[in-house]
Amino acid sequence: MTLSDDSATRTTERPVRKRGGLRSRRPVVLIAGLAAAAVVGAVIVTVATRGGDRPATQAAANAAGAPVTGGTLTYAVAGTQVSLDPAVAATAVTGLIDRNIFDSLVAQTGPDSFGPWLAKEWKVSDDGKVYTFTLREGVTFHDGTPLTAQAVKASLDHVVDPATKSAYAASLIAPYKEARAVSDLVVEVTLSRPFTPFLQALSVPYLGIQSPAALAKPVAEYRPVGTGPFSYVSWEKDKRVTLKRNPGYAATPAGASHQGAAYLDGLVFEFVSEDATRYGALTSGQVQAIAGVPPVNADKLKALSGFTLDTQETPGLNYNLYLNQTRGPLRDVRVRRALSASVNVEELIRSIYFGHYKAARNPLSATTAAYDVGAESELASYNPTEAARLLDEAGWKEKDKDGYRVKDGKRLTLVWPFWAEGNKDQRDVLAEGIQAQAKLVGIQIDRPTVDTGAFVSKHLIGGGYDLIDVSFARPTPDVLRFAFASGNTYAKAGGNVALVDSPEIDKWVEEAAETSDPETARRDYAAVQKEVLKQAYVLPLYTPVQLVGLSGKVRGVTFDAQTYPVFHGAWLGA
Amino acid sequence: MPPLARWLARRLALTLFVLWGTATLAFAGMRLVPGDPAHVIAGGVQANATPEVLETIRAQYGLHDPLPVQYAIFIGRLVRADLGESYQLNQPVSTVVLEQLGATVSLAAGAAVLGFTLALVLALLTAGRPRAGALTRALEFCAISTPNFWIGILLLGAFSFSLNWFPVLGEDGPRALVLPWITLALPIAGVLAQITREGLERALGQPFTLTARSRGATENRIRLRHALRHAALPVLTLSGWALGELLAGVVVVETVFARQGLGQVVVSAVNGRDFPVVTGVVVLAALTFSVINTGLDLLYRVVDPRVRQAAL
Repeated sequence: MTLSDDSATRTTERPVRKRGGLRSRRPVVLIAGLAAAAVVGAVIVTVATRGGDRPATQAAANAAGAPVTGGTLTYAVAGTQVSLDPAVAATAVTGLIDRNIFDSLVAQTGPDSFGPWLAKEWKVSDDGKVYTFTLREGVTFHDGTPLTAQAVKASLDHVVDPATKSAYAASLIAPYKEARAVSDLVVEVTLSRPFTPFLQALSVPYLGIQSPAALAKPVAEYRPVGTGPFSYVSWEKDKRVTLKRNPGYAATPAGASHQGAAYLDGLVFEFVSEDATRYGALTSGQVQAIAGVPPVNADKLKALSGFTLDTQETPGLNYNLYLNQTRGPLRDVRVRRALSASVNVEELIRSIYFGHYKAARNPLSATTAAYDVGAESELASYNPTEAARLLDEAGWKEKDKDGYRVKDGKRLTLVWPFWAEGNKDQRDVLAEGIQAQAKLVGIQIDRPTVDTGAFVSKHLIGGGYDLIDVSFARPTPDVLRFAFASGNTYAKAGGNVALVDSPEIDKWVEEAAETSDPETARRDYAAVQKEVLKQAYVLPLYTPVQLVGLSGKVRGVTFDAQTYPVFHGAWLGA
Repeated sequence: MPPLARWLARRLALTLFVLWGTATLAFAGMRLVPGDPAHVIAGGVQANATPEVLETIRAQYGLHDPLPVQYAIFIGRLVRADLGESYQLNQPVSTVVLEQLGATVSLAAGAAVLGFTLALVLALLTAGRPRAGALTRALEFCAISTPNFWIGILLLGAFSFSLNWFPVLGEDGPRALVLPWITLALPIAGVLAQITREGLERALGQPFTLTARSRGATENRIRLRHALRHAALPVLTLSGWALGELLAGVVVVETVFARQGLGQVVVSAVNGRDFPVVTGVVVLAALTFSVINTGLDLLYRVVDPRVRQAAL
C-alpha cells in the first residue's frame, strides 16, 4: 500500500477526477454562457422599451364596407368595481359596462335635449312635479320578464331604498317621492318639488331599468338583467366581465345609428389598471380597444397605422381646484384671486399633457349646456405682478427667508391634501407645477399625503383643507348646483368643496333647477359661472378628455352624451 | 406522549396564539385608521351617499356598538371559523378568498419552484469557480435590485407586446403564467443562489470534503450528496423570507399583468377599508406562514441529525 505517496502526489497536482459534468473541463464555456445571458438581458431591455413602436402590419382598411355580424370585442378598461348593480355603484367602470346591459327611460340626444327610449313619450305636469311616461310595447328583459310600468316603479324604488346603499344613483333623483303604475304601460312619477334635471338623471346608466324578477332575488345572488343590446354572462372579479348579444333587442334609443340586435356576438371588458400594460395590449393586438390611452402615448398611437385614437371631451365640471373660502387666508377674496393669478394653467397643461387636454377657463366644460363663454372674463388669469399687488394689498407684504409671504408673523401657507389613491392623469405632477408657481409669488402650498379615511373624515367632512381638486362628469349644467349650492357640502352628499355660502348663488341654481323656462335657466347658470370666477372660489384647470384607442378593425363605435362608448352598432372588420 | 407529538402540540398552540395576535392587530389597525367606516362602505370618496344610507350601514354592520363589543363579536366569529361578510361585495369572505386563492397559489407556487430550481442550478454550477461565480453574482445582484414592477414591464414589452410569444390578456392557460412566474422568481433566485453558493463553498472547504474526495467520490457526488446538505440549512431558514417576498410580489405582479388573485383582493379591500376581507386575508397569511415554518422545522430535523438529538 503506498497510500501516503499517492495522496502526497495528488495534493500537489490538480485534482484529476473530472468525470463529473458539474465540474466542467472548460469553465470558459460556462462564462460564455453567462455572458450570453447578460446579452439576452440587454436585448430584452431594448426590445421591451421600443415595444409598440413596431409598425402594425395590418393595413387600415379605410373602405367602410358593410357591417359584419359576429366576433367578440375585448375592451380593456382601467379601474375595477365592487358591484354590477348600477343603483349601488358609483364607479365609472360600472356605468360603462351597465350601459350595454340596461336601457334608460329616455335618451340624452344633445347638451340639453332628450328623446324617447324605453318611454316612447312623456308629459310633465304644469307644476313640474309629476312626470307621466308611456312605455314602448313588446319590450322584454333578458330573463323574459316583460317591461311594464311595475318594472319601472320597482327599479326606481330599488334605487332610493336605503337598504340598496346607493352610492350615486339615489343622489341623482333626490326629489323622487313615488312612482305609480297607471296602467300596464303608463307610469306616473311624483317628485317632492319641481326638478328639471330629472330627465337627464333618468338617461344615465345608473338609473337603467332593471328586471323586477332579478331585483327580487337576495343581494348575494344579484345578476344585472336589463333590456339592453347585450346580456350578462359572467364577472370574474378584478379580471373581466363578459356579455353576449341579446338577439331580440329592439328598444334602440332615439338617434341610434343602428336598429335591431347588435352585430357583435360578445363584448368583454378586461380590467387592466396598469397604463403601460393596457397600451401594449392594444398595440400587440391582444385587445381591440382600450380606455384611458396615456396622454404620453396618444401621439404615438395616432401615428401607428391600423389604430385610431378617439378623443371625447367630458361634459360637466372640469378638473378644477376649489378654494375653501371659509378658512384662513383664503377668506380674503384678494388672496384667492392672487392664487388664481399666480398659476400659468395654460403652460402647465400644455407641457404635461402634450396638447391632448385643453386648459380650462370656466368651471363648466365647453360641451355642457348653458356653458357661458363670456364668463371667463371674470377669471383672475395668469398675471404674477397683479398677484403680488393683490397680496401686498391684503397685508401679506413681507417675505421670510424662504421667500414666502408673512403677515403678523404667520406664513401664507395653504393645505392641499394629496389623496394618492384618487390620483390619475398625472394630476400629482400638475399639482407640483402649481406649487412651484405659487411659490414664485410667495404662497406656500403644503401637500400632505392622506389615506381615504383621513381624506373623507378629516378633510372633506372636517373641512381641514384650503384647496381640493376634483372633476365631475355629468352632461347637465345642474352640476353647478352640485358644486356651489350652500346645502350641497360634502357632508350632505354634495360637491361644494369650496364651501361656498352665497344666497345669490343658491337662488340662481335653485331657480334654474325648477323653472320650465330655458331662457331663465340659461341666465341663472351664466350668472353662477361669472360669480364663482369673480370670487375665485374655483380655479379651472383642464377639461378631462376620454382618450379611447381602437384597433382599425373596430368600426361603428359611437359615443353617447355621457361620452360612454356605445357598442350596439359596433362590428369587427377584416 | 412521544416527543415528536409533544413538539407538534406545542407548535399548534403557538400557531393559535399567532393567529389570535394577528387577528387582533388587524382589528386594531383597521379601527385606528381615521375615518368613518360607513362612508367607506358606502362607496368611498366619489360616492354621494345620503345620511339615511349611512345610518342603514351603521346599523347593519353594528358600527354603533362600543369597540370591545365589536371585538368580542369579531373574535367569537373567528373561533367558529366565520370570517364574516365583505362590506363591498355582499359575499362571505371565505367565498371571496377561496375564489381567488387558486389563481394566487398557482402563481406563487410556480414562481417558488422556478426560483429555487434556478438558484440551486446556478449555485451548484458556479460554487468554487471564482470567475464564473463573479459573473453570476453580478447577474444575481441585478435581479435582486431591480423592482418586480420593472422586470414585469420589461418582460411584457419584449415577450408579449413585441414578440407576441406570451399573451397576457384573453388567455388564462399556463402560457399566460410564464412571464409572471419569471418576474416573481428572479429576485428570489438571486438571493437564494448567493446563500446557496456561499454554503456550498464553505462546505467544499471542510475536511470532510477532502475525505470524501480521498475516498474517490466524484465531483457530482461531493456537491450533491455532501456539500448540498450542509448548504441547505441557511436556505431552509431563508425560505420563510422567500414566502413573504412572494406574497408581497404577488400584489405587484397581479397589477402589472392584470391577473386576478388575492393580491388584487387585498389592494381593493385595503383601499375600500373592507375590514372583514382584510382580516380574513391577514389571518390566512398568518396561518400559511405558521404551517410553512412548522414544515421547515420538521425538514431541519430531516436534514440535520443534530437537531433531532437536541432537546425537544
